[in-house]
Amino acid sequence: MPAAVQTLDISPVGRVEGDLDVRVDVQDGVVVNAWTQAELFRGFEVILRNKDPQAGLIVTPRACGICGASHLTCAAWALDTAWGTTVPRNAILARNLGQVVESIQSLPRHHYGLFMIDYTNKNYAKSKFYEEAVRRWAPFTGTNYEIGVTISGRPVEIYALLGGQWPHSSYMVPGGVMCAPTLTDVTRSWGILEHFRRNWIEPIWLGCSLERYEEIKSLDDFKAWLDERPEHANSDLGMFWRMSEDIGLDKYGQGHGRFVSWGYLPHEDKYNKPTIEGRNASLFMKSGVYDSRTDAHQLMDQSFTREDTMRAWYDEPSGKHPFDRTTTPTRKNTVDMEGKYSWSTAVRHEQAGRLEAGPLARQLIAGGPHGESWQHYDPLVLDMYKKLGGASVMLRHFARMHECVKLYRRAEYYLKEFRLNDPWYIKPTERDGRGWGATEAIRGALCHWIEIEGGKIKNYQIIAPTTWNVGPRSDDGGRGPMEEALIGAPIADPSDPVEIGHVCRSYDSCLVCTVHAHDAKTGKELARFRTA
Amino acid sequence: MANLLWLQGGACSGNTMSFLNAEEPSACDLVTDFGVNVLWHPSLGMELGDNLKKLLRALTSGEIALDIFVFEGTVVNAPDGTGEWNRFAGRPMKDWVADLAKVASFTVAIGDCATWGGIPATAPNPSESQGLQFLKRAHGGFLGKDYKSKAGLPVINIPGCPAHPDWITQIVVAVATGRGGDLTLDEFQRPKTFFTSFTQTGCTRNMHFAYKVSATEFGQRKGCLFYDLGCRGPMTHSPCNRILWNRQSSKTRAGMPCLGCTEPEFPFFELAPGTVFKTQTVMGVPKDMPSGVDKTGYVKLTAAAKAASPRWAEEDIFVV
Repeated sequence: MPAAVQTLDISPVGRVEGDLDVRVDVQDGVVVNAWTQAELFRGFEVILRNKDPQAGLIVTPRACGICGASHLTCAAWALDTAWGTTVPRNAILARNLGQVVESIQSLPRHHYGLFMIDYTNKNYAKSKFYEEAVRRWAPFTGTNYEIGVTISGRPVEIYALLGGQWPHSSYMVPGGVMCAPTLTDVTRSWGILEHFRRNWIEPIWLGCSLERYEEIKSLDDFKAWLDERPEHANSDLGMFWRMSEDIGLDKYGQGHGRFVSWGYLPHEDKYNKPTIEGRNASLFMKSGVYDSRTDAHQLMDQSFTREDTMRAWYDEPSGKHPFDRTTTPTRKNTVDMEGKYSWSTAVRHEQAGRLEAGPLARQLIAGGPHGESWQHYDPLVLDMYKKLGGASVMLRHFARMHECVKLYRRAEYYLKEFRLNDPWYIKPTERDGRGWGATEAIRGALCHWIEIEGGKIKNYQIIAPTTWNVGPRSDDGGRGPMEEALIGAPIADPSDPVEIGHVCRSYDSCLVCTVHAHDAKTGKELARFRTA
Repeated sequence: MANLLWLQGGACSGNTMSFLNAEEPSACDLVTDFGVNVLWHPSLGMELGDNLKKLLRALTSGEIALDIFVFEGTVVNAPDGTGEWNRFAGRPMKDWVADLAKVASFTVAIGDCATWGGIPATAPNPSESQGLQFLKRAHGGFLGKDYKSKAGLPVINIPGCPAHPDWITQIVVAVATGRGGDLTLDEFQRPKTFFTSFTQTGCTRNMHFAYKVSATEFGQRKGCLFYDLGCRGPMTHSPCNRILWNRQSSKTRAGMPCLGCTEPEFPFFELAPGTVFKTQTVMGVPKDMPSGVDKTGYVKLTAAAKAASPRWAEEDIFVV
């Protein structure tokens, strides 16, 4: 006779940026079913309606204090495509640099502050790595926790040189950027990058030079690197990998095996006349959809986006493209796992279905054969994915941290490419129209849709990476990516289900921008405005 | 040892992110050097689920002392005053806030959302958001205008979108080291030490302001952002150009107009069409004057400034 099913409600999960609740059914100590719930509503899209066309530049970075540069990037490009602006080369570089340093900042901050703390959980006291893990990664007092959390503030100093402050600047505007950096801004930025490399990336994270790490192109290369010197094995990366294997984090957290990225970082000479259609051809980091079942890569396009709402707190026709949705929020948000149970919609690709967003998605797509020779290509994570039998908590987090070196190289490149006496801004003409802007926040695919009519915002919509990942069941009953990834997780101690935390945190979920249109008084009227 | 609990309501986590940029003291220094015991924080705490609920109940029952209660984000009251649109640890967040504020020695609102409602409370305020003790300029907010924490102070408001990390850490250190009683607050319950001077105080564009040399469009190194681009530096109270952001710069130094985010009205003009990054004028005179200046005075001042303006002021002084 099968063991009884035990239901665990975990409210809140915590350390996921925002309010995430999870319900899991556990049988024989293993998760057999799961539901993820977004529990906060702020209604930014409602606020944006009828406002100044540029209001999104102020409001949307504040949808998420963690990915503000990413929201600003989307808001600016959405207006650029709507107004038909010309964006000077320097401005593309300055936007990309801001995006990249925000992402670099997030690497040690998420790694030490949110993720590695779980390795010090008493659950792992029997691991041979436990004592060292506590010494390095215990919250606030761990040696490398303190170094990592504190140094995470350095990269965004470069953002402050461009935009005055991080978080919450609005320095990217249609037609370019507000700033015009001088040589000392560039040299100081250079100094900050060097400091970050010399004090964290090389000595603590890698235990080797950037150049040595960049030689790693396959799982075999990585293992050889790990064994090459004690400095590699004992670096925080080496320790992360070895302890993850020791405590079984390479064994669960698989998910659907289908992935999405909008791609990002438009080339400074290829997107000066931005259009929605022209974006894919301009991107350094290519867009894509990867289906691991067929090992097939294809390009992603915003027109494929659909949102199912049958299991989310909305009463409206389901399966619409964001431009066509009429968001009608369910006023009484009662939790019903057989019905509606989240403010997040279930986002899907019209043909490819539910997709996982995030660094793992980006890196699998970076290994795809599609794209042109000048676009970024990196086979490592795809090779690991295939040889290790798919995704896991460990590989998902590895993919995130693997981006560190390449993002650092991007930042160096942008600093080198600025032409300080060339324009940073070309004043655009305001006009009505539709626009779309996208990027990759560190935690995955982010985009904004805008419709301007009569000189004001008619419709503003956002789909955040966490909407892709944390969404509830789709109309056909299929689980969302994180719900799927929770299946098979072993639960050692039901009173402290750290394994649920591992899976959720490996997605680096950010519930704070998974907010939806909602007007307390006239829900219907505000129906078309939402952030999800 | 001071027990600190930090919760988030209708928040973007921006103040947490800003706080983590702190140095001298850093977030870790607060714990290791100043004896701040962080009981829980949504981005940093160890506990999840039932174990966190146990901790929260121990605080509301008085079993564990709550010395500093930090709240980030708005208090969400929707729908219909129930707060169900922001549930946390099994119940509306607003119910936790009400219970915790009663037992806290000091209650600190961090950022515009917690102080006066900020962006979420912008019309039509879909989440029925309030700040802890204000809604925009109106005194009262969620806790009511008579609220005092156990130490006898009203909510300490540290506004800004986000608040600067130093504003946060210095206040926490003051309280943790027993100097909380020395804090003096202005009419909006902001620590006077930070919010008496203006954003313009220390701005590198001050000479251009004085000679009325305007930055007429973005991407320029010279010129004041007040005259055309909507900068609120001359009438906003903050130390943004005294205590630099991320140790490097400020928005106005970098070329971005001040949005006035330490004042209760932020975002100004409710973001109405035509108001974003454009100075609002009547007959060529700004609607909002530098603090304390009247219209006649302004016209005289700027006419004199224009007439006295030296030639160099029209050239770039921040050269490559």
